Amino acid sequence: MPSGSLLLQGLALGVLTGGLYALLSSGLSLYFGVMRVVMVAHPAFLFLAAYLTYSLHNKAGLDPLLTILVTVPLFFAAGVAIQRLLIARLAAETMAMMSVLLTFAMALVIEGTLGAVYTGSFRSINPEYATKSLDLFGTQLPYDRLIGFGMAALTLAALFVLLKVTRFGRSLRATIQHPQAARLVGIKTERVTGLGFGVGLATAAVGGAVLAIITPFFPAAHWAWIGKLMAIIVVGGLGSVQGAAIAALLLGVVESLVLVTVDATWATMMFYIFLFLTLLVRPQGFFGGRLAQRF
Amino acid sequence: MVKTTRVRAGLAILAVVSLALGACSKDEEPAKNASGPIKIGISLPLTGDFSEPGKGIKEGYELWAETVNASGGMLGRQVELIFRDDASDPNRVVSDYESLITQDKVNLVFGPFSSRLVIPAAQVAEDNTMLFVEPAGAAKEVFTQGFKYLFYAAPAVANDHYNYLAEYILALPADQRPKTAAYASLDDPFAKGTAYGLRDKLAAGGIKTVADEVYPPENTDFAAIAARIASKKPEIFVGGTQFEDSVGMLRALQELKVQPKLVAFSTGPTLPEFPEAVKGASEGVLSPVGWALNATYPTNKEFVEAHKKKFGKEPSEDQANGFTVGQVVAAAVKAVGCADPTKDCQTKLAEHIRGGKFDTVVGPLSFDDNGRPEQAHMIQQYIKGKVEIVLPKSSAVQTAELLFPKPAW
Repeated sequence: MPSGSLLLQGLALGVLTGGLYALLSSGLSLYFGVMRVVMVAHPAFLFLAAYLTYSLHNKAGLDPLLTILVTVPLFFAAGVAIQRLLIARLAAETMAMMSVLLTFAMALVIEGTLGAVYTGSFRSINPEYATKSLDLFGTQLPYDRLIGFGMAALTLAALFVLLKVTRFGRSLRATIQHPQAARLVGIKTERVTGLGFGVGLATAAVGGAVLAIITPFFPAAHWAWIGKLMAIIVVGGLGSVQGAAIAALLLGVVESLVLVTVDATWATMMFYIFLFLTLLVRPQGFFGGRLAQRF
Repeated sequence: MVKTTRVRAGLAILAVVSLALGACSKDEEPAKNASGPIKIGISLPLTGDFSEPGKGIKEGYELWAETVNASGGMLGRQVELIFRDDASDPNRVVSDYESLITQDKVNLVFGPFSSRLVIPAAQVAEDNTMLFVEPAGAAKEVFTQGFKYLFYAAPAVANDHYNYLAEYILALPADQRPKTAAYASLDDPFAKGTAYGLRDKLAAGGIKTVADEVYPPENTDFAAIAARIASKKPEIFVGGTQFEDSVGMLRALQELKVQPKLVAFSTGPTLPEFPEAVKGASEGVLSPVGWALNATYPTNKEFVEAHKKKFGKEPSEDQANGFTVGQVVAAAVKAVGCADPTKDCQTKLAEHIRGGKFDTVVGPLSFDDNGRPEQAHMIQQYIKGKVEIVLPKSSAVQTAELLFPKPAW
């Protein structure tokens, strides 16, 4: 039986990792919520952002966290462009399915381009704080994870304010809830949809910067994340940003506790076990509220 | 509308004609085969999980082909390499070798990277009675399939990689010898094989195994695994790793303030990106290595020079392994005097390799009945930021004394 201190350590790491998952999956919920797009390329964009962070850090000497001042606007613009130029052309009836194909192609293009530009070698960013940790009552809290958690909290808070308080957020939520009705009250739903996609992709820029300081990366690294992040948004309730955040925390903690008590193979499997349970018991997800899409 | 239809019709005709032409030229190939270039078919993981080592092996193969061609080729014929990209996918690697053998009608095949791809690929070669010398399939499962045409062109199989280190640890005086060891390994036949080879020898020598973890390749989080290991305070830590996980594991152990006296990782530290990825923490880290830059084996110096000239950088173990495959096959082709894809010729080549001893850049190689190499890996260590060969002791390849216990990270 694992000791109490080990369980506590596992719990602490789980919460920190869960925060990271929440950040990485927030964009996915937005895409699905706003336009029923299953964005398989989201993890590829995360690693694209990680590589850009790497370049800006090494070539321009920017702190990895400051690079988001450059990458966030860039990704926002790219997101709007992708939605208006590509995704908007897909037929609405087959959106969920065709968007998988389209974004799968994007993921391959990004992976190939990263391979051509940066080669297949592993890259990593190692700021001073990357391998230090805070000792809290004998539990070690690594600084890179703490920073990741902090960035996740800030990003999600910003997203929350954007969605709940601003006029744009209200139109976006209206578009999510009932596009036809939203159009009837005068919301330019096409424009709102494009901007919503841009916001989703902008979260990938923040996520990429955080990933870059936590883990070494290579062009094909994104495949390992697709399954995990998709499982999170289904468990959370498709289309619900808060639901995904709660599910991310839950799965982060479960994964970590299973890791310290059982083993890594079972821990990875937890994501899929929760996915199956959700589909069996509550296909609309656990934390999405009544508007979450049935999977 | 009319215009586009016409253009489409034109394109269709063009496509049909070019297909027909393609088919014709294929039919003529076998006739030229005996005198044209010797074609060697190779599938490698140039994208996907193994793209990095896959590209390294490719460079080794290319350099070998260039070296051979510069000295007049094999049997007076030029060598031509045909590469396929299997994207690290065991299904793709099978169809790659099938089409290389049946459609491209290659004379010889060379192996891909990693045990996971070597086993399915070797089965195709076996079914077509083609010699299959491979650069990177060291797991014990590779040699228990009953393959007759497979040879692993490197010094040792996975389980024997740490042999010199095991001898060293068990020979330490009792008061210095560590008493506990922890292992964490990627769920991959090669990576597990290396760690378990050492684990079994140390356990038999009385060093207690306090943790023994396995994680799947898609694992992205090492903090919790490290927490389990940290709670046991092991004196030895061994990682059965590839690159990404060796860095992840090392950083996680550092963050949890674990300080083992001896740390070894299977593959990561042998790559040039390692010291940068872990900053100062590489000091004292051990790793088995099948090839050394400054080893004095015949042809090694020439290999290193030629590699620097062609690619503008020093070769690593991957390039050396690819080059070694070429050297072994070339020696066999020269001795037997044939390079045809016939059962007769391929069997003769395999018989020759089974019975012979071959001088290569990784040292002299010989093979047992199942294609296992019969030599051992050297052990390298980062000392003052430089890679030194520390074991085997008092051998020609040793460049420094092993640093034990390792400095804290």
